Amino acid sequence: MELSIIFKYAPMLLQGLQLTIIISIGGIICSLALGSVLVALSRSGIRAVVILVRVYTEIILGIPVLVLLYLIYFVLPEVGIRFSEIPTGLLTLTLYYSPYMAEIIRGAINAIPTGQVEAARTVGMSNFQIAKRIMVPQALGLAIPPLTGICIGLVKDSALLSIISVHELAYQTKQAVARTFAPFELWAFVAFCYWAILSFWEVSMRKVEKRVTRYREIG
Amino acid sequence: MFNTELFFNSVPTLATAAVVTFKLFVCCVCLSLMFGTLSVMLQLSNNRAGYWLSRTYVSVMRGTPLLVQLFVVFFGLPLLGIKGQAFLAAALAIGLNSGAYTTEILRAGIQNVPVGHLEAAASIGMSRLRTWTRVVLPQAFTVSLPALTNEFTIVLKSTPLASVVAVTELTYAGVIIQARAFSAIEVFLPIAVGYIVIALSFTQLARWLERRLRDFHT
Repeated sequence: MELSIIFKYAPMLLQGLQLTIIISIGGIICSLALGSVLVALSRSGIRAVVILVRVYTEIILGIPVLVLLYLIYFVLPEVGIRFSEIPTGLLTLTLYYSPYMAEIIRGAINAIPTGQVEAARTVGMSNFQIAKRIMVPQALGLAIPPLTGICIGLVKDSALLSIISVHELAYQTKQAVARTFAPFELWAFVAFCYWAILSFWEVSMRKVEKRVTRYREIG
Repeated sequence: MFNTELFFNSVPTLATAAVVTFKLFVCCVCLSLMFGTLSVMLQLSNNRAGYWLSRTYVSVMRGTPLLVQLFVVFFGLPLLGIKGQAFLAAALAIGLNSGAYTTEILRAGIQNVPVGHLEAAASIGMSRLRTWTRVVLPQAFTVSLPALTNEFTIVLKSTPLASVVAVTELTYAGVIIQARAFSAIEVFLPIAVGYIVIALSFTQLARWLERRLRDFHT
């Protein structure tokens, strides 16, 4: 075990980590946005749109991320749509994770009793007020735990983008491995880094959830 | 745009590779169930060290990318004297990873068994082992089946990762053909369809098993 290697290549790995974080945050924001759009579309009541969203969801649930990545990276250029590596990665993560996000958001909204919405309407609340005062505060508490899980999945899958040479953490590790021939040490160290960051994230989200669901204790 | 000749020429290669994917899938599912059962037994036993070992295992497996785990296993095996076993490394990595999720699923299933059943089993004089094999595990397995189906669909969708250590499964076969022919639509579209078909038939099989088990228990 050569631990000095890790110190020597730390700046390189840190650079990768930076990109991993940027891509992850970008992916989370984009897939949440697209997920919300999917929920809105499937609640729109237009048959064709609802079916289209269902088909899209079924396809995504059936294919591996890696295959989706290859479809976007290799197949799309053949029909004339070309992205560079980072947008390709971001697009893959967004397309792949938005149906999962949509499923969680839909579940959280459906869990709110319709009686509450009807009651709010009866006392004269506007749609915006209902969303802000009734739906969001409750749906948020329900959605945060599963969303945390899905976000962790997204961050982990961002490591796959190393395959199309996006210079994120896993890619930088591969580069360091190629130069040092110390694969086990480096990969084990990088695994530890992912684990530390994601565990911290999970613990903080649990705190956020506690805070968001304070109303349950008061009531 | 769609070269049918290339498509038909690549079908035999892809079919052979699909068999490898299927084998890998079966190995991973077996390993996942094995590690999951072992780890849940440790977690529910009264042994503190075992409990923490299992918790750490689950936390590490859920907190690190499968790709990184695969590399750790792939480069770790030679340190144990096992060299050049890409298939084994892939199966082991995916199985270990999925085992963590299986642990949690089985734990929920086992804790779902009413305490009354255990007390009833104890009062009619069943041994601990018999209580497990006759009372706890059948019920836990039935309850966990939908979640396990979900998890194993994810396992199927993780098998393409084996391509990064050069196991010639479905996706990697596609990459090879694509690199030779400089054409991707003809290979990756059938591959995507192939995964959807395998995933759908697997879930249908699991649904059928679920129904059978439910009829059996009621």
